[in-house]
Amino acid sequence: MNKIKTYIDNANVSRFRFWVQLVTFILFVYGGYWGISISQNLPIFACPYDHATGGTCYLISLQHQLHITWANLFSWRGVAILTSFGTFLIFFLVLNKAWCGFVCPVGTLQDWITKLRKSLGIRFSRYEDSTFKYLKVIKYIFLLWLLIVPLAIANSFFGLPQMSHDWFPPFCTICPTRVIMPLFTGDVSQLIIDFSSTPSLIMTTLGVLAAGLFLTGSFVKKRFFCLFCPMSALQYLFSKIAFLRLNKDGNKCTKCGNCYRVCDVGIKEIADDITSKNIVKDDCMLCLKCVEACPEDRCLEVTFLKFPIISATEEGFFKRYGTDNKELKDE
Amino acid sequence: MNKNKNTDRYERMKKTSSVHMAMEIKKTLKETIEDFPNNPEGMDYFYKLVSIFTEEKKINTNGKKVIATTCVQVPTELILAADAHPFRMCSGAYSTDQIGSEYLPAKTCPLVKSTLGMMHLDFYQVDKKPLAVINPTTCDQKRKLGEISRDLVDVPHYPLELPPTKDTEEARIYWQKVVKRFTKYIEQITGNKITRQKLKNSIRKVSRAQQEYRKFYTLRKGKPVIWGKDSILITNTYFYDDIERWTLSMKKLNKELERKVKNKEYITNARSPRILLTGSPSIFPNLKIPLLIESLGGVIVAEEFCSTSRMLYDTVAVDEWFMYDMVPALADRYLKPCTCPNFTPNKDRERRLLEMIKDFSIDGVIYQTFAGCQLYDMESRNISKLFEKNGTQMLLIETDYSPEDHGQISTRLEAFIESLKTRTHI
Repeated sequence: MNKIKTYIDNANVSRFRFWVQLVTFILFVYGGYWGISISQNLPIFACPYDHATGGTCYLISLQHQLHITWANLFSWRGVAILTSFGTFLIFFLVLNKAWCGFVCPVGTLQDWITKLRKSLGIRFSRYEDSTFKYLKVIKYIFLLWLLIVPLAIANSFFGLPQMSHDWFPPFCTICPTRVIMPLFTGDVSQLIIDFSSTPSLIMTTLGVLAAGLFLTGSFVKKRFFCLFCPMSALQYLFSKIAFLRLNKDGNKCTKCGNCYRVCDVGIKEIADDITSKNIVKDDCMLCLKCVEACPEDRCLEVTFLKFPIISATEEGFFKRYGTDNKELKDE
Repeated sequence: MNKNKNTDRYERMKKTSSVHMAMEIKKTLKETIEDFPNNPEGMDYFYKLVSIFTEEKKINTNGKKVIATTCVQVPTELILAADAHPFRMCSGAYSTDQIGSEYLPAKTCPLVKSTLGMMHLDFYQVDKKPLAVINPTTCDQKRKLGEISRDLVDVPHYPLELPPTKDTEEARIYWQKVVKRFTKYIEQITGNKITRQKLKNSIRKVSRAQQEYRKFYTLRKGKPVIWGKDSILITNTYFYDDIERWTLSMKKLNKELERKVKNKEYITNARSPRILLTGSPSIFPNLKIPLLIESLGGVIVAEEFCSTSRMLYDTVAVDEWFMYDMVPALADRYLKPCTCPNFTPNKDRERRLLEMIKDFSIDGVIYQTFAGCQLYDMESRNISKLFEKNGTQMLLIETDYSPEDHGQISTRLEAFIESLKTRTHI
């Protein structure tokens, strides 16, 4: 048992993650070709605009379900919303934010774009701390937008006129995933700008712009889009009760900042917060690079229902960062 | 260029000081080696390394250019990457302390005086004069050292602007920029370009050294297999030794110590009071306090000094192995985890000490401050309050490099160690 634990603690998690991401990418982008449809309530951006997707993003289901009149919402139809949400929650609770770091095809795509940039030797950019604080709020605004607009299309709020159905689905139409993911199956139809009505024009234009921004943004900034992802916002509301956790023992932390340095999403608390035990923040994707970079024994630890899965160890750190120096001869 | 140097007096000073220094080193080495039985064989390398100074020999730098540093915050990886030999100049010699006293106010810390004296007399531990002295702007005295040394030392002085606080993002970014500029400076004075591959290699080299040091550090958490005075001497040799040679010697020593742990060959009574030494750094040949502690029956199992654990413990992690990420990563490593009392606030040092007390099962802390070392002295107030709350015994000792206070300190240390012994029931 101890041997297995040491093996895992010394493992190259990033390499393992790369392969998991590759497999899940194929599964959720091309899975439909083999008749795979895992669920319609997945906590990842598996986009149904890609006709071959192997599952569906929960946000699109949610938007459709919320396109409902008040009367229906509180009838038996409302139960469907709950069961759908329950399914989403069960999926989410198992892996917590690791859905983002290991499974989400949009996240994977951004990691690949980062790899491309790295291979060209081009430097990345980081947000300034103060900018970061403002930007991270945007995802919650998107979440509110996608919850309220479907209701406002189906109902009248405070006697205001109902919104046009052309705003629907309010997030998907502006989501870069809708435009980009179908391209992987050769479908370019989502690149169009729809001039049929003003809302359609606005939304499809924003969508195409977002796609362009996605590609350029993730080229210069690691996991550029994740900072704005409303799925990430929704997930974080339930992250505290998830089974998979990232814990930190602040007493063991020397604040060396290794974890913050390697963090793709730039979470400063991972290095500076020495009081919280649960260190999963809203932008965290549980990619576990911080655990790989931490040289203090059990300072950072991933647990599943309190059972330790992988811990930061000195040995593991040096395995990954120190010892493959070919210039140093042994005795 | 140096008015002070071409005089008979300077030559006489140099001659007598070099005799005094050799005597001082000989005496300390004798006490270090002979007064303690069964020193590990692996220590021979380190003893031999410092013993060459008694014969007026120097560390061989293999024809490399040499760059001197005066504090722990200089990213030595950058110097190594420019194919130069970094060496830390902080001196522990009383003989050069007396020289430095001539040029500095009376209440200056002995480390600063000694270092200035050493530079003035060209007593470098390496076989070549350094191209420059890199001086991080840490405490006030180190900061002014560079200006005072202008007329006394014919080596250019480069102030490396360390921020006075480290917790804010502004400080971090500022320091990253300082280090970036420093990279250019090193390239300029050595005439060697720091390439991506070279820097990567030098980071790995330091990392290997750290790995061995940390193994050694962890070994001391158990029952004592090595004396603290040896540990301090080992880390002192890291100041000037060739890093790869040092790492290999460390590896050998660790293997021997691991064997000793296995065979339960402890260096002294396994229940001797376990001491944590902290405060102003003990630097060879100023091993006065550590030698006293250990000859009185205590055993130093850990030191929280900028000449020991603070220098070698914390590591670098780089995400993308390009210059644009390696240089800031190095900057972070030399700023963020540093527990130097020149930072305010310095809560990290308190946390670190508490963690060490737990990890090393410490019985008592001995806090050394040098007369004139204001920062450590001031910080001792908060630390002692903290220990009071925590129930840890602490003895504060003010000392300097002169042998005069030997008797008085010996009495105080003896009483302290005896009181710890009654607690540990020997």
